[in-house]
Amino acid sequence: MKSKIGIAVVLLVVVVLALFLPNFGGRYYTQIFVQVLINIMLAASLRPSLLCGQLNIGHSAFMAIGAYASALLAKNLGLPFELSLLFGGALSAAVGLIMGYPSLRLRGVYFAMVTVSFVEVIRLIAQLWVSLTRGMSGLSGIPKPSLLGMVLTTKASQYYLALGLLVIILLILYRLEYSRLGLIWKSIGMADNLSQSLGINVANYKLLAFTLGCFFAGVAGAYYASFFRFLFPPEFSFLLSVNILVYNFVGGRGHFIGPIVGAAFLTLLVEPFRGSAYETIFFSIAMLLTILFLPGGLITLPGKLAGLWSGSTGSAPATSAAT
Amino acid sequence: MALLEARNLTKYFGGLAAVNRVDITVNAGEIVGLIGPNGAGKTTCFNLLSGFLPPTAGSITFNGEALVGLKPHHIVKRGLVRTFQLTTLFLDMTVLTNVLLGLHLSSQRGFGRVLLSLRSFPREEITRTHEVLEFTGLAPYADELAKNLPHGRQRTLGIAMALAARPLLLLLDEPVTGMNLDESQQVMNLVKTIRDRGTTVLLVEHNMKAVMGTCERIVVLNFGEKLTEGTPSEVGSNRAVIEAYLGSGGEHA
Ligand SMILES: Nc1ncnc2c1ncn2[C@@H]1O[C@H](COP(=O)(O)OP(=O)(O)OP(=O)(O)O)[C@@H](O)[C@H]1O
Ligand SMILES: [Mg+2]
Repeated sequence: MKSKIGIAVVLLVVVVLALFLPNFGGRYYTQIFVQVLINIMLAASLRPSLLCGQLNIGHSAFMAIGAYASALLAKNLGLPFELSLLFGGALSAAVGLIMGYPSLRLRGVYFAMVTVSFVEVIRLIAQLWVSLTRGMSGLSGIPKPSLLGMVLTTKASQYYLALGLLVIILLILYRLEYSRLGLIWKSIGMADNLSQSLGINVANYKLLAFTLGCFFAGVAGAYYASFFRFLFPPEFSFLLSVNILVYNFVGGRGHFIGPIVGAAFLTLLVEPFRGSAYETIFFSIAMLLTILFLPGGLITLPGKLAGLWSGSTGSAPATSAAT
Repeated sequence: MALLEARNLTKYFGGLAAVNRVDITVNAGEIVGLIGPNGAGKTTCFNLLSGFLPPTAGSITFNGEALVGLKPHHIVKRGLVRTFQLTTLFLDMTVLTNVLLGLHLSSQRGFGRVLLSLRSFPREEITRTHEVLEFTGLAPYADELAKNLPHGRQRTLGIAMALAARPLLLLLDEPVTGMNLDESQQVMNLVKTIRDRGTTVLLVEHNMKAVMGTCERIVVLNFGEKLTEGTPSEVGSNRAVIEAYLGSGGEHA
């Protein structure tokens, strides 16, 4: 009861904050907040894969596909933003389906290694196919986002577009996670051989989770392209993929809001070091601290604090069994 | 008529013949035991029958249909359901959800239906789940997380989930390991009731008392090969069987 009210209050604060953020500070801050929204899209869309127990470190590849595809469609063919966004997502999903199909039989580290190779392959293509992507000169002159033919020129309006997009993506992902489909994903993550023995086509459900994640990563990439209007292959490196994974771990994998909290928290915290070598160090430390002290992620922090508060008599700490 | 007929079943792991030219026949309505010392190839047989491993050679016919080449999820849908030797559960889900999953996954729902349906389960599935829980004595634990159950109940939950999948043939891999006398007696009674309700059972177990008291026919494996086959008293007095068990220092219960 009490916690429900607490959650409602927190939600309300988040919504009000999200709605008024562009009014604080200038363009610089709006840009940071947009970055937060994009990172939440990426982190949340990795979750289905993680639910199935797959260590997916390939997400930035599919963000890149969505970004380049939509940017080129909008720039060269003049496709409206909505369409280029959907095409970007669809192409990512299609490539994800093709690349995912043969690799989903692999497990654990082997799967992770293959997904890392996706990142390198896609980045190399973006780098070497100069006639299409401009390679290392970077792709510039990408049209601004538009809605129903109306170009969104101000950074604030583009922020609201990202917010709307994020809300839609989160609603879809939430709905799926708490459906039978989500339950099946979780069952596969907990014991895939048992799921199989009960009649689940494990490969299909894993592929669906993976492809769905690719679609939304592509959508996030498409929005990214239209907002920053410049694409540069190294931006979509392996490190970005690792960061997306770290958002999920640091935020917490036990609940839908984990990646949202993780992405928001880390993006804001790391902002002063962005692009420098410290960024990587920072992420490593965040990951290490989480594994050591908060294995359930930030979302378990309130519960732990409440536990410390009420149970200061020194009851044994809850030992959460390793999954 | 034979419900399950495996002929010349063979599985090599590298140079090791874990299962070597084994014939197993299970008739509808029987409780058949599959015994043998550690490493004899019992679990491997289960993995072959349930499609978790492809056989190196041999054929498997179940209910008139060839199984070799089918994936585990196809085989479950045909009514052959297995449990695991190591306790394998959805540990972070409730007992109820575990059984619901067992039931749901085998029900003839397509991919598309799964995509569209919410988590709320249809009434008939909930009813059936409660029946299974009642039947297996797990009803009082329905809302517990599977990981919080005592070991014996966890083993029983594994059987309950398999039952929920409505098997024609149930393969039980060491259902009473680690149970005390009382618990194992209960589970063995449960196995008999399962059979009386129309499910055929093939059972791997080291607990000789349990096997002898429950099975009508016993197949003995040793080093991947079939040593002998017969009624409990025939097998129990067979010299080769006794030697196989003594030779390996195996447990006599
Ligand atoms: N996946 C595998 N890869 C390689 N060797 C295996 C594999 N599975 C089983 N084996 C080997 O095959 C042989 C038979 O193993 P299996 O698990 O079938 O024995 P078991 O009769 O079930 O024994 P236990 O009573 O100890 O469970 C053993 O020598 C085992 O080491
Ligand atoms: Mg075994």
